[in-house]
Amino acid sequence: MANLKIGKMIMRSLFKKPATLMYPVIPREYKERTRGHIEVDMNACILCGICMKKCPTDAITVNREERTWSIQRMRCIQCSCCEEVCPKKCLVNESSYTTPDIIKIADTYEKPDEPNAAAGETGLKCADTCVFCGICVKKCPSDALTVDRAAKKWEVDNDKCTKCGFCVESCPKKSLSIE
Amino acid sequence: MAERKDLIQDIAAIEASNLLETVSDVKDDGYRLGQICATKTADGIDVLYTFEKDSILKNFRVSVEDREPELHSITAVYWPAFIYENEMRDLFGIAFRNLALDYGGRFFKIAKETPWNPNAVAKRDEDAAKAEDCDAAGDAADADADESAKTRSDEEGKGGEN
Amino acid sequence: MGKRTIIPFGPQHPVLPEPIHLDLVIEDESVLEAIPSIGFIHRGLEKLVEKNEWPEMVYVIERVCGICSFGHGWGYCKSVEGNLGAEIPPRAEYLRTVWHELSRIHSHLLWLGLLADGFGFESLFMHSWRIRETILNIFEETAGGRVIFSVCKVGGVRKDISDEKLKDIVKTLDGIRKETAELTNVFLEDVSVRSRLSGVGALTKQDAEDLCAVGPVARASGILQDVRLDGHGAYPYLDFSPCIETEGDCYARCKVRIRELFQSMDLIEEAVSKIPAGDIEIKLKGNPSGEFVARMEQPRGEAYYYSKGNGSKYLERMRVRTPTNANIPALVKTLQGCDLADVPMLVLTIDPCISCTER
Repeated sequence: MANLKIGKMIMRSLFKKPATLMYPVIPREYKERTRGHIEVDMNACILCGICMKKCPTDAITVNREERTWSIQRMRCIQCSCCEEVCPKKCLVNESSYTTPDIIKIADTYEKPDEPNAAAGETGLKCADTCVFCGICVKKCPSDALTVDRAAKKWEVDNDKCTKCGFCVESCPKKSLSIE
Repeated sequence: MAERKDLIQDIAAIEASNLLETVSDVKDDGYRLGQICATKTADGIDVLYTFEKDSILKNFRVSVEDREPELHSITAVYWPAFIYENEMRDLFGIAFRNLALDYGGRFFKIAKETPWNPNAVAKRDEDAAKAEDCDAAGDAADADADESAKTRSDEEGKGGEN
Repeated sequence: MGKRTIIPFGPQHPVLPEPIHLDLVIEDESVLEAIPSIGFIHRGLEKLVEKNEWPEMVYVIERVCGICSFGHGWGYCKSVEGNLGAEIPPRAEYLRTVWHELSRIHSHLLWLGLLADGFGFESLFMHSWRIRETILNIFEETAGGRVIFSVCKVGGVRKDISDEKLKDIVKTLDGIRKETAELTNVFLEDVSVRSRLSGVGALTKQDAEDLCAVGPVARASGILQDVRLDGHGAYPYLDFSPCIETEGDCYARCKVRIRELFQSMDLIEEAVSKIPAGDIEIKLKGNPSGEFVARMEQPRGEAYYYSKGNGSKYLERMRVRTPTNANIPALVKTLQGCDLADVPMLVLTIDPCISCTER
């Protein structure tokens, strides 16, 4: 009866429910950790562009002038890299997949205008306790800072600075602040 | 706790002329060929040979120049090396002498020749330009130009076969 | 003496999941010589180190192969961690081991299915993949992806698995253990399967050594070779010895993989019972500036990861040598003298992964 080795298995599956899901009639259940698609909370986003720089597939584009954040859904590989590097944690990998489509979709989100932002009063400030160590320069993801140790000069390029706060965290003297 | 054998890194630089000798010694010691890989450096190409025995790795680095890199094939000692050597020939343009199984640059179907070694590409372009200049300065005979183009392609073919 | 003919085999062929081309020189029905040719899907992933910073490069390396994705990620991390001289917390090493062994189970079940499909036993193929689905679900629950994990990072792992979840995994594995035993019994005992695999494509121990075969192919020929013995991950704390067969034929290769299936289940069970509490990652300082050759035991065999840094955020060179690369010479050798009808079996039993090979 050697040929009936698989017989039992086959008989059992004859009377069992199918192992596959009757998709799409019965929707698939996503697990809690499933990496499906990236969602962005534009109210928290500061358009710093770190996600754009770190994305391995260049799926994300951040436009600071137009105040938009956009993602090309077909390029995204759901690696959650952006979610991890985001300083404001405004990116979340939701568990459901994007729906299939016949064209390559790019989703663009606009950041709502902030009432007080226009004046340009807020910015990065450095207190007198600065020792010009240059750590903030190394940490800055958008190369907005310059430190000259010899001339004891600390400068910020306000156009480039995204106020992400990486320098504030890294400063050993705690002399940096965003006001 | 067992010894972390994977953390032992033994990388020795050897001369290209000693390559076959070293590899034969390693083979006699009972080592197995692990991998061969090329790295483009600022002033040439480093080829790293890795051998393994009882979870201990032995590495040898051979440096060659990058415009017309050439090395002796080790397929006579380790036949399976033909895969790595053909790969390096296609990606870095390293010519291997006495390669047991030579694909003549057609192992990988890639659009550009030697894409990972721009200097070899530059050298080839220069050679081609020089050959063209010679043709123009010569007796302007079309037949000659054809002839030199033919010898050039012959040489290329030969380079692959060697 | 018959007439010699050259038959092209692949890159498109029903038994080939991925493109490899073989020129088979045949006389009557037997193969005299085989010339392999790859390179249809060279993607240049190694070159991407110049565009991706080393912490992000792991996402690219993971995508070298879909089946042994976790192992590739781990191998890359191991190489860069070695470069930085970083010590990984034990819990992270245990978690990596659990994930890696799970992917071994998934890879071997997938391979068993492909093998069954290769010799025309479709229902066996379906059942192998049905069991594999359970493992994929575990992946999705713990890591978030069914195929690509993205949990291994340089310096540790991204996500923790809670102790309850780990116990759940062991319970799930216990659940499929009986089914897997039943399934693999068909491979090992069924008359038709046995006669298809036994004595086909034997590779002697001497040949396997000379041809530098790796992984299950080498172990099926009686070579004791397993990277897990070199003391990385949680393996030194776990009790295991490589599965070794001596016949070297397709049946032996199949048997090695089947034994490894159960061994992996035992390893996971043991790892879960011993896993320590603690951190799952460490903070790394500086950029890699040296070079490091790391090895991993992938489901298909030994893989190499060579990284070379220059002190900047971008590595100078990242090299992955995958197991199939090392097994192709062994394949070419076993093909010499075999029957034309056995060629698909021989190609399948080295478990070829061509996209890996070319990267």
